[in-house]
Parts: sequence; C-alpha cells; structure tokens
Amino acid sequence: MTRLPEPLRWLAGRIALAVLVIWAAATLTFAGLQAIPGDPARAIAGGVAATSSPQVLDRIRTEYGLDSPIYVQYGRFLGRLARGDLGTSYQQHRPVRSLIAEQLWPTVSLAVGGLALGSALSVAVAVFTAQRPGVRAVARAAEFTALSMPTYWVGFVLLALFSFRWQLFPVVGETGLRGLVLPWLTLAVAVAGVLSQVTRDGLEQALEQPFALTVRARGATELRVRVRHALRHAAAPVLTLSGWMLGNLLGGVVVVETVFARRGLGQLLVTAVRGRDYPVVIGTVVLTAAVFAVISIVLDQLYRLVDPRIREVAR
Amino acid sequence: MSTDEETDRPTARPRLRSRRRRTAWIAAGALAGVAVAVGVVAEVAGTDSRGGGVVTENGTLVYGVAGTQVSLDPAVAATAVTSLINRNIFDSLVAQTGPDSFGPWLASSWTISEDGRTYRFTLRDDVTFHDGTPLTADAVRASLDHVVDPKTKSAYAASLISAYQETRIIDPHTVDVVLKQPFTPFLQALSTPSLGIQSPKALADANYRPVGTGPFGYESWEQGKAETLARFDGYRWPAPGASHSGAAHLGKLVFQFINEDATRYGALTSGQVQAIGGVPPVSADDLAKRNGFTLHSDETPGLNYNVYLNQSRGPLTDPLVRRALTGSVDVVKLVHSIYFGHYPVADNAISKVTAGYDASARNDLTAYDPDNAKRLLDQAGWNHTDSDGIRVKDGARLSLVWPYWPDGTREQRDVVADGIRAQARAVGIDIQRPTVDTGTYVDKYLIGGGYDLVDVSFARPTPDVLRFAFFSANTYAKAGGNVALVNSPQLDSWVTGAAATTDAKQAAGDYSSVQHEVLKQAYIIPIYTPVSLTGYSKSVRDLAFDAQTYPRFYDAWLSS
Repeated sequence: MTRLPEPLRWLAGRIALAVLVIWAAATLTFAGLQAIPGDPARAIAGGVAATSSPQVLDRIRTEYGLDSPIYVQYGRFLGRLARGDLGTSYQQHRPVRSLIAEQLWPTVSLAVGGLALGSALSVAVAVFTAQRPGVRAVARAAEFTALSMPTYWVGFVLLALFSFRWQLFPVVGETGLRGLVLPWLTLAVAVAGVLSQVTRDGLEQALEQPFALTVRARGATELRVRVRHALRHAAAPVLTLSGWMLGNLLGGVVVVETVFARRGLGQLLVTAVRGRDYPVVIGTVVLTAAVFAVISIVLDQLYRLVDPRIREVAR
Repeated sequence: MSTDEETDRPTARPRLRSRRRRTAWIAAGALAGVAVAVGVVAEVAGTDSRGGGVVTENGTLVYGVAGTQVSLDPAVAATAVTSLINRNIFDSLVAQTGPDSFGPWLASSWTISEDGRTYRFTLRDDVTFHDGTPLTADAVRASLDHVVDPKTKSAYAASLISAYQETRIIDPHTVDVVLKQPFTPFLQALSTPSLGIQSPKALADANYRPVGTGPFGYESWEQGKAETLARFDGYRWPAPGASHSGAAHLGKLVFQFINEDATRYGALTSGQVQAIGGVPPVSADDLAKRNGFTLHSDETPGLNYNVYLNQSRGPLTDPLVRRALTGSVDVVKLVHSIYFGHYPVADNAISKVTAGYDASARNDLTAYDPDNAKRLLDQAGWNHTDSDGIRVKDGARLSLVWPYWPDGTREQRDVVADGIRAQARAVGIDIQRPTVDTGTYVDKYLIGGGYDLVDVSFARPTPDVLRFAFFSANTYAKAGGNVALVNSPQLDSWVTGAAATTDAKQAAGDYSSVQHEVLKQAYIIPIYTPVSLTGYSKSVRDLAFDAQTYPRFYDAWLSS
C-alpha cells in the first residue's frame, strides 16, 4: 500500500477537520434557529408588517417544505449543503450564494485593509516603544484609550471631522479607495489597540534573549536587531491573533458598515437575523466557519515559515 | 461618484513628520487637539442658492434614505422605501389629488357601475412602457392578476384589493375591473405605487426588472447600497398637478441607503447627498435654521401612532379601567418633550389629514386628569393598593402587559412607553414591558393575544384604515390591524357599510361614528401623528410632494 507523502496527508487531515467544523457550525445554527420562536412562513411573506392572507402563508409552508417534520427538513438541508447549495433567501427570493458573493468584496476589502493598517501600526508602535519606558507609557495609554472607545464612536468622530466638516473623504457613493480610508482607520484603531500590546510583549521577551546580545555584539544597529531578529520571535502570537481577528472581521463588521453606510456581510447578516431569513443566516455562518478553517490552515504554514524550529520538529 | 464640492477642501493639511520619537508623540497629541478644536469652530459653508430661474437639465440627484429594500417588485414588497422609489418608476391608473379625490392618470376617464362592483377604465392611447411595450388593457389585467396571484407572495399590495375578482378586456384601451363586492376605497388603492401598472413583458420574464411607464426607468440596484433610476425620455403623461410637460428634468435619480440617522443627516449637511428622507426629529430644528437647506414636513394620513387597549382580556375588559388608563397619561406634555414639537399630538384614531377626519370626536377622548383616573378605578372596584402602590381587586394586582419589540421600535417610541408607564403607575396601574424578539412578538403576542397593550401606526391615505383597525374580522392573524381585538357589531356595520356604500354622505357619517365610538370606549390612546420629514439642499428646485406624501421628482431640477 502506497502512503501519501507527509504534507499531503497533513493537508487531507486538516481539510477533513475543516469539513467537520463547517458541518458542526451549520448544524448548531440550524438547531438554534429551530429553537427561536416564530413562524418562518411569515418571515418569507414579508415580516411583521406584511398583511399576507392565511392562504398565502399556507402556500409558502408547502412550497418551502416548512410543513415537513424537522428531521426531514434537516436532511434536505444537509443534502443541499453537501452539494454546495446554500438555498434561497426567504426575504429576497434569490440564491443565498449570489447574495453572499455580492457582499463578499465590500467586506473583504474593508476587513483586509483595516487589519493590514492596524497591523502595520501595531508593529511600528511596538518596534519603537519596546523596552523604552517613557514612550511605552504613552503608547500604553493610547492603546488602552483605543480599546475603551467604542468602534461606533470612533467611526462617528472620524466621519464628523473628515467627511462632514472638512469633506476630505466622502461617505456616500464613493466606491473607490477614498471611501475606504475612514472605515479602515476606524478598524485599525480597534485592531492596533490589542495587537500592538501583544507585539511589544513578544518583542520585549525576544530582546532579553541571549541571541539579541549576540547580534548587538556583532555591531548591528538597534533597528536591525529589532526588525530583522526580534520581530520574528514575536511573530507567532501576533499571527495567531491576526488570523482570529481577520476571521471575525470577515464575518461582518456591522458597526463600521452601519456608521459609514456601507454594504457587506455584516449588514446582510443583521437584516437576515431581523427578518428571520434562515438560509442567509446559515449561509453566512457556514462561510465564516470555512474562512476560519482556511485561515487556520494558512496560519499553520506561516508558523513554519517564520519559525524554522517547527519545520525541524515536524520532519 | 464624482463630487463637485471639493472646492471647499482646506488647502493646508496637517502633516505629521517623524522627528524625535518623544516629541513626535507630543506633537501628535497637540495636533489632534487642534484638529478637534478647529473642527468644532469651523462651520460647514452653506451654499447660497439664490440663482436664476432657468431650469437645468440632466442633473443627478442623490437622495439618502433609511430602509432595507428586499424586493424591487411593488406587488411583492411591503417596505416603505420600495414604494418611495417605485413611485418614480410606475404610474397608476388614477392619481390621488387630495384626501379623498382622484384624477385621471394612465386612465383618462372611468365610470363606476350602479352596484359599485364594476369599474370601467378608458386608458390613454399614447403611453408606452420603458421597454417600448405600448400600454394596453392587457397590461392592466397582467398587473392586477400578478398582485393577487398567490405565487407572487404579495406582502401588502394584495391586501389593498382583497375585493378584486377579475379584469375583463373590453377593447385594447378599455377594461372592466370587477370586484367581488362593492368596495369604495378601490380607487385609492389603485392610486398607490403598490398597484402601479407594470409592463406585461417584464412580468412574464423570469428575471424580474421593474418596468413601468413612470418618468424614471430602473437602471441598477446594488443591494443594501443604492438604486439608480434614469430619466425616461419618452415620458408625456405626468400626474395631475405637474408644473411642466414632457420628460423629467433630472437625468438620474440615485437612492442611497443610509440607515444610520446621524450619517444620513451629516451626508446632507455636508453636501454629499442633495436630499434625505427621515430627518431625525432631534436634528429638524437645526436643519430648519441652516442656510441653504429646506425642511419639508408632511403629516402622514392614516392611523396615528396609537396605543391599542386589548379589550378582550383582563382588567381592560372594563371600559372604566380603559378610561382610567387613558386619563392617567399626559400625552400632550409627553409628545412635546420627546419630539420637540415636530410631531403633532394626536386626538383621534386617524390623523387630521386623513379624509373623513372628524375633529369633534376628541370630545369623547378621556382627558388627562389623574384624580379622575383614580376615581374611575375606585368605581371599577380597584379600590385598594398593595405595598407597592399598585391597585388590587379580589386579590389580583392591576398589572398590564405591553410587549417591547426593539427591532420594530423607531422614533423613540420606547421613551414614550416609559413615560406612559411612569404616569400609569402614579394612579396605581402597573405596566410590564417584557422585551421580545420578532418571533415571540408575533406568535405569543400579536397572534396569541397574550398582551394588554400594543402600540403601532399605519399610514394609508383613506378612512378605510378604520376598518383595518377596528373590524372584528381584521385581527392580526387574519392579516388585519385590529390589535385592540374590538368585537362590536355596531362598529362592524359602520366600517363595512362605509366601505360598500356609494353614498359619500353616508360613508362620512359612518366614519365619524366610528371615530367617536372608538374614543368613547377608550379602545385606543392616541399619541402622535407620524410626520415625514424631508430635508433638501436649496440647490434642489421644484421638488413637490404628492397627496400620499411621496416626493415627486418629476418637476425637480438641480441649480448649479
């Protein structure tokens, strides 16, 4: 019997795990939505304000199979999911997959940009403030301030000043880069508040290691010691945290989307939860689970890149 | 979007240069401080828009609006924002020209049969849809059949014409619309955007696109972001009251969905949009005082924002208790302090601007008088209080349930409820406010009936809303609005009689009797009349509002 090469086996294992995670997330959401009171037929008919006749409601129940026992509905649901079919939105009567596809890019551009800006800020702050008690105290204060300010509020202050007052960055109708600057900044503030503390802690620990002394003894500049050598040691926890943050942000940035009148997965999910649009809720959850699974696979590869010791052990 | 207001941009921008690290931080802090201070002092430059009267063609008007657009089809959607947008795409057979008057639109004339069941419409013969299809009798039949077809899953439009039976084509430009029973509010229903006439070709297409005969045609829709309409150059049939003929002046009409109040308002005052719907009441005064902006307010015809007293269970089965509760609340003071005078205090189930409104009905409304309320409660047998000061009768506390549904609560109605609770408590009535999600609200309360109080408003410019709200068969479960669960043969005969009679005088009398009786019986506590507050820049000229309070963009243009 031929054995698969080690990296492939590893990947197969991770993919199997990812499928398990997605199934579990989908099943939990399905069960959770069943437990919530309320008649989905009414949601399909147009919500509380709708004045649909009982005949229309009956018709909807039959058409959507809502009159079948739960286990039958669950079976159908799993069958569709296995084929990659996320179903049809109750509210919008369109395939969930295309709804999500439409909202994906606005969310990805917002989340990735915000995280990148926040990470860059964190690394810069950490590199310049690690082991320097004076500026570190200032940075700490700033970080705690950033953490304690609600994202909502930060967004509004930025909006009021840079969009409404000085009209530098429009909030409406701007699809390009200029419309993204303020939302990115808002996210970056939240991200940097957490990330720069973790980066600095890692950096400070690394700088106390004997290797730092060795590098310095070879005459390397302080900046080189920090950026080329210490940062790599601090990278693992930062990567883990960034990965988790990215997963969260991709699941939807409701607050930022609302404040800046942007569309995206967050808005889609909120509208769906309010309107009891089960297929869209489940679709968004499945997507988020898949994103987390992919991120965790990518992270594992990145660990190997930044830390050769992991490669050694795995071999 | 290219913005034209970039000239206001300050030339000097704060720059942060990285010098010594320590000083950089201090400098950054100082800069931020200055930035905030400058921001507070700086005023957004108001644009002086007193220009000539020469109409500019081809402008692009961006209108910011709150709301979630779930369907483009007027026959399907129940959301207000869909009607607002579709009003520009679709014309109706008839136009509402006043509280209870109608004029010709796509139908140049009509007659109603003796028995009130058959409406014969003569269609204009020069009308074409945006897709080039001529308007014929087929289109009328296709549109109305589409609305009532269960496959359409209409959330609102079908309920407007529940009496509809069929459309008979007499000749290409004449149709008979036949009703199951006489139904006077039929013309009003036909005049709403929900029953706008659609292109039969577009309705038959599997990929639905809204295609009507309106002054603007549908161009694109970005879900959750914007819907764009473009001028229909072949337009020649404006509704009565238009100030010009031919195609609209604006080249494009963009509806931007901006749900956050403060963002929407800021987008208007900073010139990023030219007009917004739903100006937040807290900002209304600010806008009215601002140079370069106009605040337009329209009282909404239909049912006021009322609290409905479920007369079918518990203490509220007793009219004395219902009157006591009504008399314990100082609605006038409450509404003034919460809405800064922008929302008129209601004194009737329907608003003043609704046809058939009877001002004298307010004499039957129990006036605010806490002492009288206490006397009424004593009289009703609730003459002891427990240790909490809540009244007791036969060992039961006078405790009422008013479910709080945050997802459906707007316009600070939760604050109104807090005020009512506090005042009711002062006379010994306890009101519980369980917070509930949408499903529970519908299942347990609206359908299950496990409530004593429920608050709601319902906009529709016809006195027939009284039938929606008080006819015994119109409970929520049966797609109606009778949430006080009124069950009175007398009221039933008035509201059904008024809807069926062709005698306008008798209808007016019936509607008037309903308004008196509802207040006399204290089935409701009227709170305020919802107001639609529209704000727009003075660069927007000749923006009009129709009898249904929708902005009419047909005559509008933008001055440069």
